[in-house]
Amino acid sequence: MNTTATPSRIKVITGNAAAAIAAKLARPDVVAAYPITPQTEVIEQISTFYASGEMDCELITVEGENSAMNVVMAASLAGGRVFTASSSWGLVFMYDAVLAVAGARAPVVMVNVNRETPGIIAVSSGQQDMISTRDAGWIFLIAEDCQEVLDLVLQAYRLAEDYDIQLPVMVHYDGFFLSYLSEGVDIPEQKTVDQFLSVLKTQPKRTVLHPGEKLGVGSHGILGGYMELRHKHVTAMERSKAKFEEIDKEFADIFGRSYGGQVEEYRTDDADMVLVGSGSMCGTIKAVIDEQREKGVRIGLVKIRMYRPFPHKALVAALKGKKAIGVVDRSLAFGFDGGPIYTELKAFETRMDGAKLISFIDGIANTDITKTNVEKMIQMTGDLADGKDVPEVTWVSYPDANTKGEK
Amino acid sequence: MAEKKQGRLTKVLDYLKHDDPFSKGVAFCPGCGLELLLRFIPRVLGNDIVITGTPSCSAPVLLGQNNQSWHTLSYFGTLMTGAAANATGLVRYYRKAGIDNTVVCFNGDGTANDIGFGNLSGAAERNEPFIYICYDNEGYMNTGIQKSGTTPYGATTTTTPYGSVHKGKNLRRMNLGLKMAMNKIPYTATATLSDLDDLAKKLLKAKEAKERGFCFLHVFAPCPTGWGADPADTIEICRRAVKTNYFPLWEAENGRIRMTKTVKKPKSVGTYTELMKKFNHMTEDDIKILQDDVDYEYCLLGGLSVLEAECQLPVSVKDQGETS
Ligand SMILES: Cc1ncc(C[n+]2csc(CCOP(=O)(O)OP(=O)(O)O)c2C)c(N)n1
Ligand code: SF4
Repeated sequence: MNTTATPSRIKVITGNAAAAIAAKLARPDVVAAYPITPQTEVIEQISTFYASGEMDCELITVEGENSAMNVVMAASLAGGRVFTASSSWGLVFMYDAVLAVAGARAPVVMVNVNRETPGIIAVSSGQQDMISTRDAGWIFLIAEDCQEVLDLVLQAYRLAEDYDIQLPVMVHYDGFFLSYLSEGVDIPEQKTVDQFLSVLKTQPKRTVLHPGEKLGVGSHGILGGYMELRHKHVTAMERSKAKFEEIDKEFADIFGRSYGGQVEEYRTDDADMVLVGSGSMCGTIKAVIDEQREKGVRIGLVKIRMYRPFPHKALVAALKGKKAIGVVDRSLAFGFDGGPIYTELKAFETRMDGAKLISFIDGIANTDITKTNVEKMIQMTGDLADGKDVPEVTWVSYPDANTKGEK
Repeated sequence: MAEKKQGRLTKVLDYLKHDDPFSKGVAFCPGCGLELLLRFIPRVLGNDIVITGTPSCSAPVLLGQNNQSWHTLSYFGTLMTGAAANATGLVRYYRKAGIDNTVVCFNGDGTANDIGFGNLSGAAERNEPFIYICYDNEGYMNTGIQKSGTTPYGATTTTTPYGSVHKGKNLRRMNLGLKMAMNKIPYTATATLSDLDDLAKKLLKAKEAKERGFCFLHVFAPCPTGWGADPADTIEICRRAVKTNYFPLWEAENGRIRMTKTVKKPKSVGTYTELMKKFNHMTEDDIKILQDDVDYEYCLLGGLSVLEAECQLPVSVKDQGETS
C-alpha cells in the first residue's frame, strides 16, 4: 500500500468500528442487524449512529440472521442500498438467503467477521465461515487491517452496484485479530465518499421491484432460462475482476491509497520464494519478510484480496517462475488434506513454469500466526526451493498432526 | 328466494373494483380454495399491490417461469424461511424512498405457522407496515399433502397416514390467528371463501390498518385434492367450517377480538368432517375429541373478547406504529 493522500482525520478505532463507519459513509437506505461475536460491535455502532440521527436509514433489528439477509435482499431488489453484518453461525443461519441474494443478483453489501464455523463450538478466529460459503456466487473481498476494512466496504458498494456487475459483495476480516484490534484509521470525509460513490448515479438504473409495475423477481428458472441466468452470473463474476482493479485505481486517485486490486504483491519482484496469504496474517508475514530480506533471503508475499471470483490469472502472473510457494490457509478443506486456497491454487501449478507448492495450515481456532511460525514456513518453503524433501501439508501450530497417525 | 340470492351476490361484486390480473386458466387443481382467494385479493385491493409468495401450491402460478408469468402483478418469489422478512425489506425501502405501497405477503400455513413463524413473529413485534395473508389449507400441499402445525386432530396426511398403530394426526391444530392477535398488532382477522363480503371488508380494513402497522389475515382455504373432497364442495366446506365453529369468523383491532359472525345454533363438527376423506377413518370417540377441541377454542375466543372489552387498552398498544 502506498500513501500519497492529503491528510484527513486519523482515529484509533477497531476493525468493527471501521466497518460501521464505512457503512455510515456509504449512506445505506436499509440496514438489518443481529448480533454475534465478534461482529456485535458493528451493529451496536450503527445503532448508535441511528439513534443520534447521524445515520438516516431504516434500521431493522431482526429476530435472527436469516431475516437479516432476507430483509436486505428485498430492500435491495426494491432499489435500496443496503448493509448487514454477520459471522460464523450467523452466516450459515442466513445461508439459504445468501444463495437467493446471489441468484437474484441483488447488490447487497455485508461484512463477515471471520470466525470458526459451527461444528465444534469455538468463539475464535478462523476463515472457515468464509470457506463454507465460498460457492454461493458472491464476490468475496478480504481485508488485512482496519484501514482496509473501511476502504474495502466503500469499494464494495462501487463493485456490487456497478451496472455491469450487480452482484452481492461480502467483505471479510479476521474476527478477534481485526474486529477488536484498535489502530489508526484515516476516516475520509463524507463529501469525498459521496464523490467516490457518485459514479453509480451516472450509470443506467438497474431494474427494481416497484409497486404496480408488471415485473417480478424470483420466477422458476427452467432449463435454458436457468442456464442463461447462471451463465450471466458466472460472466459477471469474471467481469468483476477487472472492475475491481479499476475501482482500486480510482480509489487511489481520490483517497490516496492503492492496494493493487485482486492481489497485493509484497517484495515479490526478485523473490525466489513466495508465501500466499490473506487477511490479518499478512501484516506479520510482511514484518518477517523485512527481517529475512536483511539476511538476504529472497522471499515475498502475495496477498489475496479478492477471493471470489478466484483471481487465478493475477495469481499465476505473480507466482510464475518462482521456485517455491507456501500457501497459508486459516481454514480447512474437508476431504482434502491441504488447505482450501492451496487446493485451489494447485490446479494452476502447471501454468507457473515449474514453481512448486506446499500447504500450511495455521491460525485456526484463534491460534496466533506468530513470527516464529512464519519463519518456520519460510524455512520450509526455502527447503522446497532447494529441492529438499518437504511434507506437502504442515499444521504449523499443531506438530502432532505432522508426526502422529491420528485416528 | 332467487331474488335474495341475487342480492347477496351483488354485495360481493360491489367490492370487486379492480381487474383480475390472473390469466384465465392457471395451474391449480379444480375447486382449489387458494385460487379463488388469490384472484379475489387484487380485485379488492387493486392491481398495484406487490405480492410475495414462497414455494407452495401458490408458487407455480404466482411466481411464473423464466420470463413468463400467469399474472400482471409485481411480485417477489421468495423463501419459505424468510417471507415476512422479505416483505419487511420491501416496505422499509419503500418508506425510506417515499413510495406508496401495499405489500401483501401471501403464504401457506406451512410457511406462516411453521418454518417461517420466527420471522412472522419478528415482523409482528416490529409492527411492520404490510399485510400478511396466510391461506390455511392445513398442510404442506405442494410437496404432496404432509402434516403441518394447523392440520387438525385426526386428519390423515402423507406423513400422518392411517396405519394399524397410528391413525392420522394425534396432535391438536395450532390456532394461528389467535396467536397473532395476542401480539396486539393493529389488525388481525379470520376469513373464508363462503363469506366473501366479510373477506372483502377485512381486506379493505387491513389496507387501511397497515398504515398503523402489521396486519394478519388467516384465511381458511380448502384443498379438495389433499383433503379428499369433491371440488364442487369447496364453498360448502367453508360454510360448514363456520357453521360448526370449526373456523369462527372474527377480527381484532389491536388485539381486541370481536366476532364478525356468530352462529346461533352451531352444528356438530361431524357435519363438517363428513365432507372429506381425510377424516373418514375417525370413530365417534375421535370426532368427540375434535368437537371438544373446537368447543374449547370457541369458548376461549368468546371469553377473550369479553375480557378485552373490560380491560383498559394501554397507550403502548394504541400508539404503536413506529417500527424500528
Ligand atoms: C426451506 C424449505 N424446505 C422445504 C421446501 C420444500 N417445500 C416446497 S413447498 C412446501 C410446502 C409448503 O406448504 P405451505 O406453505 O403450507 O403451502 P401449500 O403447499 O400448502 O400451498 C415445502 C415443504 C422448501 N421449498 N423450502
Ligand atoms: S393441492 Fe390443494 S392447495 Fe394445492 S393446488 Fe391442488 S387443491 Fe389447491
